[in-house]
Amino acid sequence: MQYVFRNTTLEGILGMNGIRYSGYDDITFPSYAVDSYVWFYQVPIQANRAELSLELHSYFSKFQLVYRQIPQEIPFFIFTLIPLFSFKVQDSDTAIEIACNEFNKNMIEFATAHTNIKIVDFREFTNRYKQSEILDWKYYFISNMQVNPKLAKDFQEWFAQKGEALAGRRKKCLVLDLDNTLWGGIIGEDGMQGIQIGGDYPGNAFSLFQKQLLELSKTGVILTLCSKNNESDVLEVLEKNPFLTLRQEHFAAYRINWENKAENIKSLAQELHLGLDSFVFVDDNPSECELIKQMLPEVSVPEFPAQPYLLPVFFMELTRRYFATYSSTREDTTRTAQYRANAERNAAQAQFTNFEDYLKSLDIRTDIREADAFSLPRVTQMAQKTNQFNLTTKRYSETDLQNILAQGAHIYTLSVQDKFGDSGMTGALIITFPMPKVAHIDALFLSCRILGKKIEHTFLQEVLKRLPESDIQTVTAEYRPTTRNEVVKDFYESAGFAVVSDTSNGKEYQMELKKIKLF
Amino acid sequence: MKAKLLDLFKRILETTAIDEAVSQANCEKWNSIRHLNLIVEIETEFDISFEPEEMAKMRDFATVLKLVEGKRI
Repeated sequence: MQYVFRNTTLEGILGMNGIRYSGYDDITFPSYAVDSYVWFYQVPIQANRAELSLELHSYFSKFQLVYRQIPQEIPFFIFTLIPLFSFKVQDSDTAIEIACNEFNKNMIEFATAHTNIKIVDFREFTNRYKQSEILDWKYYFISNMQVNPKLAKDFQEWFAQKGEALAGRRKKCLVLDLDNTLWGGIIGEDGMQGIQIGGDYPGNAFSLFQKQLLELSKTGVILTLCSKNNESDVLEVLEKNPFLTLRQEHFAAYRINWENKAENIKSLAQELHLGLDSFVFVDDNPSECELIKQMLPEVSVPEFPAQPYLLPVFFMELTRRYFATYSSTREDTTRTAQYRANAERNAAQAQFTNFEDYLKSLDIRTDIREADAFSLPRVTQMAQKTNQFNLTTKRYSETDLQNILAQGAHIYTLSVQDKFGDSGMTGALIITFPMPKVAHIDALFLSCRILGKKIEHTFLQEVLKRLPESDIQTVTAEYRPTTRNEVVKDFYESAGFAVVSDTSNGKEYQMELKKIKLF
Repeated sequence: MKAKLLDLFKRILETTAIDEAVSQANCEKWNSIRHLNLIVEIETEFDISFEPEEMAKMRDFATVLKLVEGKRI
């Protein structure tokens, strides 16, 4: 199970498999077992850049608050903060970029001292696309997603590879073919002097490829050769051709013979004491590639480009998929000191050290009122749609609600506002009066976007305090389990109710009203 | 078209136990995130684009089919 702290909708790109999400900007952490944490905040889409900048400066201290409370041996992936869209009015206004850089710089520094933290450079993904491909405003406005859900597959593949790289599970050994792979042409046909390396195209493309492979080997990747040739011919070329970069000494082992390549790779694995699953096989000949895929499925076999001019792309892909190593991005740390001073002033204003301060910083204002003809349609909509924070999941229609009201029930609605704006009406609570002196909570549902900020408790207490019926002594409540509302199965306990009955059909609760008035 | 769309529904809703009568009301797996996935997949698969107003109406298979057919003409 991976747990994701986030401030926008990410379900569209990260998916739901093995992942649970926090509420928006909710830094309470879950009690269940987590294999890894993810911090993936995005820059909110907001017109007021001064306020936004202040908000961004609060993220790092929010993160630290979270970090202090969770076990430090569990991997924690941190996405860098990248502005996907800017409402910049003046070119000189760089406040948001500075705030993002500041967050990234702080995180990178933090990561050097805390080894379970792995920085995921989100820009590496966004750089592949045009801005309009990443942010699709239609999806943003209907689901609050900043990253186009159509990129989900690519994103998940990319992130999975990052996870592998960050966990150090990279491949160890490259098995390289020679003819038409490390140079153009074939020794056996074109002769030792006839192969194409260096000089004009395509020799220059193979030259660059060899230089890149040499750099790759400097990061610890083992290079080996596997070629169908006469060994003496190849060794002579490796020694004498002046245009080669890779020489015999760069290869840890080689198999130059006319045997089948699957057997050769097996024997390379034995010689180097490596598992076959740490091998990547690179060969221009599709039938050799197919043979290895069939015979040695543990070995990775990327598709070699048909045109030599595509070798740089192939090399990047090869590196990214199999040999990516984890290291912090430094590009974000090299901004000027003058900007940094401004940023630190802003950050100081956004500091806080505990959860209560955090809540206060959100500046939450709730508006609780009785439902009327204007709000009933919205209450109906929520009754129909709310799945998670819904204690009884009664799918009332508007007519149902009118009937309930006519029978003397009260329906209260909750609207929430914080410093980032108005979430609108996000919850409702229905109180019925089944017998004298007893009030019953027939339904309670809230949008999950506001959870985790204790708003749900405030709402319940406020409503019970306000009940106009003065003779109420007892409040009863119920929880009805569905496949989706497990999150609230202990909600009434946490609000101080006593369990009266607990069956597979749900739970019944009771509480003396005067207890609530003490809050 | 109808069969192709139903296959897509089965794939995205991760169930084979549905037919043309499937709707948000009778299919528990049709939650909000899979709803979005459905829209994304249909837009991609049929190379069409829905307006938010249309997305809101897509609560059952028949309506979705009608919308898709209307855009393919």
